[in-house]
Amino acid sequence: MVVKIRLARFGRRKAPFYNIVVAQARTARNSKPIEVLGTYDPIPKPPTDGEGKPFKDIKLDTARAKYWLGVGAQPSDPAWRLLSMAGLLVPKYRPSATPTPTPTTATSIIAEASVGANKEVNAVVQ
Amino acid sequence: MPPPLRSPSVLSSTPCCANQLCRTTGQSSRPFSTTPRHDQRVTRARRGLFRWLTLQGENFRNPLSGSTNYMGAYDNKLGVLKRVLEARDQRTLERAGKGEVEPEKTNGRSAEEKNIPPETQRDRVPFPHNKMFISQAVLSEELREEIWSQIMKEGQSVREVSAKLRVEMSRVGAVVRLKEIEKEWKRIGKPLARPYSRAVMSMLPQTPFDPHHIVSHESINDLPVHASTGQQIFHPTSESRQFTRQDAAKVFNKRLLPADDRIPHPELVIQHRERVTEGLSVEERKERAELRAAEAEEKRERKATREAEAEAMVQKVESGRWEFRFTPINTDDAGKDGRGRRGVGWRYGVPLYDRSRGQIKIPKIV
Repeated sequence: MVVKIRLARFGRRKAPFYNIVVAQARTARNSKPIEVLGTYDPIPKPPTDGEGKPFKDIKLDTARAKYWLGVGAQPSDPAWRLLSMAGLLVPKYRPSATPTPTPTTATSIIAEASVGANKEVNAVVQ
Repeated sequence: MPPPLRSPSVLSSTPCCANQLCRTTGQSSRPFSTTPRHDQRVTRARRGLFRWLTLQGENFRNPLSGSTNYMGAYDNKLGVLKRVLEARDQRTLERAGKGEVEPEKTNGRSAEEKNIPPETQRDRVPFPHNKMFISQAVLSEELREEIWSQIMKEGQSVREVSAKLRVEMSRVGAVVRLKEIEKEWKRIGKPLARPYSRAVMSMLPQTPFDPHHIVSHESINDLPVHASTGQQIFHPTSESRQFTRQDAAKVFNKRLLPADDRIPHPELVIQHRERVTEGLSVEERKERAELRAAEAEEKRERKATREAEAEAMVQKVESGRWEFRFTPINTDDAGKDGRGRRGVGWRYGVPLYDRSRGQIKIPKIV
């Protein structure tokens, strides 16, 4: 079965909050995942110093994310967007007008991503 | 029935209204007034009003310059300043003691008017029936300018300036901010409301600034009341125990600092102790003060470094509208079963009670 990196929606009505999880593709959205890689809070917060853009908070264990990408976990589109912003993947959809061909998972993973998976496989929470 | 008063039926808004009202032969300013005749009778209240207008009221028509002019400062019967009366009595007593003859009244009056004694707290009661309400002094223009220059030009800390000029730290901060705005307005040529400011300042008591004699503006080292200390607690301890302020703070709230650390200027207490109780020399005190300052600076730097390190760990990615902040975490923090307290994210298999009855959702502490 396919292992995916995807978002699990928690929070309340009109107050979304996502866990970035590694889970089997066919399990329910909010079921217990293989591992929680981090969180994504899509509600923008006003800038702390009063100037600049509002920010969105993402917490991510980069090393574990790299490991899972290295062993073939497939990120969903929103997860791909976040991981590419973190510099783990090549962005799928670019803001430019010309559409680029979608890279395949294996080649698109940035070279250092697979190298960086230094943690043991046993650390996976089952 | 008393005869009707032959006077204008309506108070005119001109400043000489008192005179007009008291004129018995005056013509009505509104000859076609519809006020019934019987409403214009001379009542006791009306007579009292005119008496007041001619005595005390005169003082408010021609206000004192360079002083407050509150009702509480005037004698009720004579309509003269209480402090002037007291000074006059004092002088009479002194003269009587020396056996001098009282000078002519006209001379005395003019001399008194020239040098009115300075106002006291008693004269700063704007509402005579509310004796507890005392008009407090505001910072004078010179003092505000001095605060600004000491902080912005000489680069002193707010704490130092506050302790030196005896003005609260929050007020010092506010003065500096407002002065900055004022100077900015002057720079861009925005007009200032000077006549308004002059008029208001002339009516209020002020704290003057004199570099050789600092006048305390307010009490600067008051202990702020913390909500946790508002409760009455019966806390039994053994007689042999030394129960200090530190212990008392812990009884109120585990995280509450002792009163010695919560006051705005703990360094003033230390300085006083060194000077009076320990009797240290000036050099020793200076040395200790420098040591304390260095320690505080080191502590501040350590905190700043820690914060900067945490900030450097955060990866910031700009998108069109938002900035995405990636904070690194460690999944192992969640523990073996994934339910550890330090783990991030929504927890699995743990019930949330936020929608059940009796849960307080609004924050109790801000």
